[in-house]
Amino acid sequence: MQGSRRPVFLSFARLRFPVGAVASIGHRISGVVLACALPFAAVALGRSFSEEGDYASVVDGLQSPAGRVALIVVAWAAGHHLLAGIRHLLMDIGVGASLPAARASAFAVIALAVLAAALPLAA
Amino acid sequence: MKFALSGRRAFIVQRLSALVLLAFLAGTALRLALGPLPTRDQWQAWSAQPHAAALLILVVLSLIAHAWVGIRDVVLDYLRPARWRPAVLAVVAVGLAWLLARATYLLVLHAL
Amino acid sequence: MRFRVYRFDPDRGSRPEMRDYEVELRPGDRKVLDALERIKEQDDSLSYRRSCREGVCGSDAMNINGRNALACITPLQGLRQPVVLAPLPGFPVIRDLVVDMTQFFAHYRSIRPYLVNEEPPPARERLQSPRERERLDGLWECILCGACSGFCPSYWWNPDRFIGPAGLLQAERFIVDSRDRATAERLAFLDDVYKLYRCRTIMNCTEVCPKGLSPARAIEHIRFALLRPPGSRRPKAGETIPR
Repeated sequence: MQGSRRPVFLSFARLRFPVGAVASIGHRISGVVLACALPFAAVALGRSFSEEGDYASVVDGLQSPAGRVALIVVAWAAGHHLLAGIRHLLMDIGVGASLPAARASAFAVIALAVLAAALPLAA
Repeated sequence: MKFALSGRRAFIVQRLSALVLLAFLAGTALRLALGPLPTRDQWQAWSAQPHAAALLILVVLSLIAHAWVGIRDVVLDYLRPARWRPAVLAVVAVGLAWLLARATYLLVLHAL
Repeated sequence: MRFRVYRFDPDRGSRPEMRDYEVELRPGDRKVLDALERIKEQDDSLSYRRSCREGVCGSDAMNINGRNALACITPLQGLRQPVVLAPLPGFPVIRDLVVDMTQFFAHYRSIRPYLVNEEPPPARERLQSPRERERLDGLWECILCGACSGFCPSYWWNPDRFIGPAGLLQAERFIVDSRDRATAERLAFLDDVYKLYRCRTIMNCTEVCPKGLSPARAIEHIRFALLRPPGSRRPKAGETIPR
């Protein structure tokens, strides 16, 4: 039957996403990043309970170039996911659910998360 | 609890675990802001107490449950073909269950 | 004025492409639909749906410069050129700007878009107080244009299982209607990880609705209604809650 190969228009380059959509995809990406960090967190937990040598190795790992990048990425992910999550919880109870308020809070989440990413650099 | 979460139950688990994690984070942030950073010995001493270990286990449980609902959403949205979803979700569930078991084991062992 | 229009001809079978047009607007031409008519004068092969030309039938929903809108009420003034016209995202394209709405309407039908009331009909109408009628505001005005569902990422990823903002808004329209007696069944039907709970409150729907409605808010209300255990939901006058 003709029409079985109908195309679908989904060219992201041509779509203009509202700020809320940007905050939302950031929420999802940051969630995946944090989920990937879970095994490392489990290892860190174990090391925190053991002798000095293991603990120092964790600190050293974090100070390596790869460790610093990872720390910045995780800091962004934690900041964005947390703030976007709070935004959703508030919208659940009706706070900031109107369109102008939702846009403003989405922008705030995105901006503050970038700031959070800079925290490890300051520390 | 992990498998066969209806839409409504998954939503509730996600929101409830988020609240637990939020409360814990707020408490931790307060503690870190108000006092000197705990040393390794202070951390080990505090977390060995039964009530602290229980709290940490609750936090870990919330974290795993929250991650499960989130990852499940990602799989249900994007994974093609759809018939692979149950299998992939099963693998993820096993992985998360293992993390939960490991963390709980560490915390319990440390407290004893 | 310059336009870049998505073209796809199923008879040719080749891939979709963007084609450029330059049109001379007439003095009365104010909206994108008017420009589409000019383009069609130049190139008769262009296909698009249109009917009322005043924003109430919902036929000409399409993607204009990256956002979904109704062509007949979108002003030409202020649009960045070349104006990019594309079909509703995520919907199978039949031809040019005409998309297949079959799945969209199947979801609509699945939520039972009609009053369900087995009580004996009154002599005249089933009465409704002004207060009860107000609860339909923001829900009855939907013209089923598809702009919302066509901008919803969750609907893009699972158009066959997620009902989408339009269908869910209509579901809420019947859930809150005081004359309807099937609330419990409607809610039970929606309590599904795909049908309702793919919604992530991205709010793209509310951003593009040409009638100013908020499917996101309607969906929040449905989620709230589902949170309360079936036994505790406040029954409407005359309604019995099944145990």
